[in-house]
Amino acid sequence: MKQPPLLAQKLLKWYAGKADLEDIQGDLNEVYGLNLEESGKLKADFKYWRQALSLLFSYGLKKRKTKAAYSSYYHKNSIAMIRNYFKIALRSFSKHKLFTSLNLFGLALGMSICLLALSISVAIYQSDNWQANRERIFQVNTHIVDQNDDRTFASTFKAMGDHLKEQYPFVEEAVTIQSNFYPEVDHNGNMIPLQGYMTEQSFLDVFSFKLIKGDQKTALSAPNSMILTEEAADLLFRDEEVMGKTLETSHGIYTVTGVMENLKQTHFYFDMLASPSEQRSNVASDWTDHNRNYVYVLLDDTEAEGDLAQALEQTAELAASFNPERKIAFEYIDLEGVVPRWNISRAIGIGWDQPSMIFFLTIGLLVLLPAVFNYTNMSIARALKRAKEIGIRKVVGAEKHQIKAQFIIETIILAVFALVGSLVLLYPMKQEFLSMIIGGSMLNTDPNAAQILTFLIFSILVGVLAGLFPAQFFAKLNPIQTMKGEIKNGKSTVSGFKKGLFVFQFFLSLIFVIGVMAMARQYSYVLNNNHGFQSENILAVPLERIDKQIAINELGSHPDVKAITSSSNLPGLFMDGYKQATSNQQDTIEIREVFIGDDFIESMQIELAWGESQSLQASNQNEELVLVNERFIEALQVFNVQSDTLRFTLADGTKCRIVGIMKDFNYEPLNQIIDPLVMRYSLEDSKYALLTVSSGNIKRTVNELEERWSSIDQEASFRATFLDDEIEDAYWFLRVQMKFFSVLSTLAITISCLGLLGMVSYTTENRTKEIAVRKIMGASNPSLYYLLTKDFIKLILISALIAIPVSYVFYDKLFLHFLIPYGTGLGFMEIFVSVLFLFLVGLFSIYWQTAKVTKANPATKLRYE
Amino acid sequence: MKGYIGEFEELVLLTIANLAKDAYGVAILNDITERANRKLSIGALHSTLTRLEEKGYISSYLGEPTSERGGRRKRYFELTDSAKVELANMKALRDQLWAGSKINLSVK
Repeated sequence: MKQPPLLAQKLLKWYAGKADLEDIQGDLNEVYGLNLEESGKLKADFKYWRQALSLLFSYGLKKRKTKAAYSSYYHKNSIAMIRNYFKIALRSFSKHKLFTSLNLFGLALGMSICLLALSISVAIYQSDNWQANRERIFQVNTHIVDQNDDRTFASTFKAMGDHLKEQYPFVEEAVTIQSNFYPEVDHNGNMIPLQGYMTEQSFLDVFSFKLIKGDQKTALSAPNSMILTEEAADLLFRDEEVMGKTLETSHGIYTVTGVMENLKQTHFYFDMLASPSEQRSNVASDWTDHNRNYVYVLLDDTEAEGDLAQALEQTAELAASFNPERKIAFEYIDLEGVVPRWNISRAIGIGWDQPSMIFFLTIGLLVLLPAVFNYTNMSIARALKRAKEIGIRKVVGAEKHQIKAQFIIETIILAVFALVGSLVLLYPMKQEFLSMIIGGSMLNTDPNAAQILTFLIFSILVGVLAGLFPAQFFAKLNPIQTMKGEIKNGKSTVSGFKKGLFVFQFFLSLIFVIGVMAMARQYSYVLNNNHGFQSENILAVPLERIDKQIAINELGSHPDVKAITSSSNLPGLFMDGYKQATSNQQDTIEIREVFIGDDFIESMQIELAWGESQSLQASNQNEELVLVNERFIEALQVFNVQSDTLRFTLADGTKCRIVGIMKDFNYEPLNQIIDPLVMRYSLEDSKYALLTVSSGNIKRTVNELEERWSSIDQEASFRATFLDDEIEDAYWFLRVQMKFFSVLSTLAITISCLGLLGMVSYTTENRTKEIAVRKIMGASNPSLYYLLTKDFIKLILISALIAIPVSYVFYDKLFLHFLIPYGTGLGFMEIFVSVLFLFLVGLFSIYWQTAKVTKANPATKLRYE
Repeated sequence: MKGYIGEFEELVLLTIANLAKDAYGVAILNDITERANRKLSIGALHSTLTRLEEKGYISSYLGEPTSERGGRRKRYFELTDSAKVELANMKALRDQLWAGSKINLSVK
């Protein structure tokens, strides 16, 4: 006999659950048989399906289901049962206080980094979701394939914006933004570098950024207008009235026409917006140059997206005619999707991307994982404590899935509690972290619905992850054995799997600790090591708006000033900009250029490999006498065909002759590659006076210097800083790095030690009787300590053995190598100290627990069990 | 009067009475389909049967399995006394109304 459709049968059975269906299924079968004879298989199948489906919605079946649900024999998880799980969970938490608090603390610590990553991710995902026109704004991207590249750029051709707006009526407005606008603004003589966008009035029309001052509708319509953010306005003008002020910048003169609220929750990043000096005229490169040029379009209707795709396809053909060697396609993305993206080149603003978010989250998970392991480890190890409860549950009819549900619910409750604890940690950490990353202040990570939901889902996932393994284990327990008090896996020793988890935890902690140590070593190295020049006792005074020669003479005549010189850049700090130099008029090399004053080499104690520095002043109109470093000579040697290797020409046509070669030294911080360097003599181009001072009372000296300064010029302000302080500031990135690693290692170590504590306390507890017997038989305390600790010490040793080579390769060959190439690398001491430190911390937590057992009176302990 | 019996419920009750010892799901279904010329799904029939059982008009017991039912047992239904009383009441009411009719209800 032919069978009715299997799927329909299964569906019915699944839906009915525990309800008794036998007679209905029988009826269905019988009718199916009749139909089969009458009208063939296809129709019968069809009719069976229809019958089955109508049954799903029938009153009869529903009634049978409810009846089955309330029968005492068949029981699905009901509300009452779940309430009971909650109650039991809370009771068990309060019964095993040490166990619970260790896990709670561990999970809270472990989750904190993940929460940080999540809260930032959520904020990034919510970027620009407040813009009123967000559904109609799209960013135009360019996909370019040429011989050596196949990439999607966030930027697009310069002509794109105008073209789209003119040719396509559904494009209501187009915004073109040029992001390479880095003017230095003259602020009472100091040049303050700011960063902004060159754009047009439509920016204000399309996006919903609010102006605090100025007219939203016209602020950028006039050429050379500028809008400052509140922060930038504060920096430049403080309490003065900003509006209408003219700003002299390195890129021209601008009039301030507005002040904008500080940026919040957006993918843009700027201090100012400026309108160009003249109407943009069409240039040939408009369809070939897309560098730093971004276009956003505002469509007249959210439905017009398809039209935009079409328009861009047509435009791509047009663009292709200008770019015969490249394959060009245009893409678009809606405003809310601009950040974060997976793979986009030259994103505007900070350019949050998914890979770095995932990287951050992975680090968070690396810290969380040990905490999860702790829970898994400890709860399985403590199975004995719960075994009777599980046994009774099983005997009265609990099924496997119910036991599983109970333990997973219990872990989820624990994880949610841990979440609350973690939030307390999160707040200070978040503030610190956001202040360290660029654009961090722009992210709004205050609690909101999406964030809370993400956190909650996350903690539930953590709970499931941590609880899955123990739940599986508990569900498999044999009730008879548990009632008798024997469990197969409940041995007092630690199993191989648990040992593995253990080693992993300590391995991870050690890696982080070594990271902190390595970073600290680099930091002290860069501060104490001179970079190849004298940096101690040198005062740096910016020379602005003052006659430089007079200032040098006046300051230099102070009795405490042993030597004075000047230069265009402070040695040891970052420099910007390259110049070109050539020795054969064909091949150029990129060089760094520094202008120095008299006696620079002598007072900075820079070593010369060859030549002398005294004749620098003797330059004449035909040739300039300069100093170079060894790297310069090496770089030039590659194409040196001339007979006279000491002559070269700068890009501006200056002919130079080398009179001295300096030994290579780090003119910039140690993380920067040493570049070819040319030192030219020019007091006029110097920006700092460098004073070598030796004084018993430096404060008095500085005050006296200031008096002398004011006697030359009342207007110019006097600032003096020590060169080594300035250099220390240049290494802020190391401090940030160090802070990050210290947080990570503190978390990792604490979590690992919590795990250690849990395991040790468990094993010692189980061996209370044994210890008591040993003690009575005359075992000494040290031998008992040895007995209890040797297993754990072995594990810590193993993890150290793995961690040492791994961290050596990772830090010495990769991390430090890239972070700070002229540093010291990873030394033996750092590794040794880290291992020792972790060892002591581990030993201490073991001792804490074992001492309890070994010090106890054996007689009471024996009676107790 | 105890409970209310709908027209379809009455039909099902009377069919069960007609089928007597042979009143189970498919038999009732086929009988109604033939006699009343109604399309009826198993789901609808069982819903009605469940309601009638709840109201106490029918009781059921499981019979023997047969091969055309895939080895599943039949559920036989039989009328309870309250169903018989209810049916009688309804018939009496109808008879009364028929008898009292002032116009001739028979159609030629």
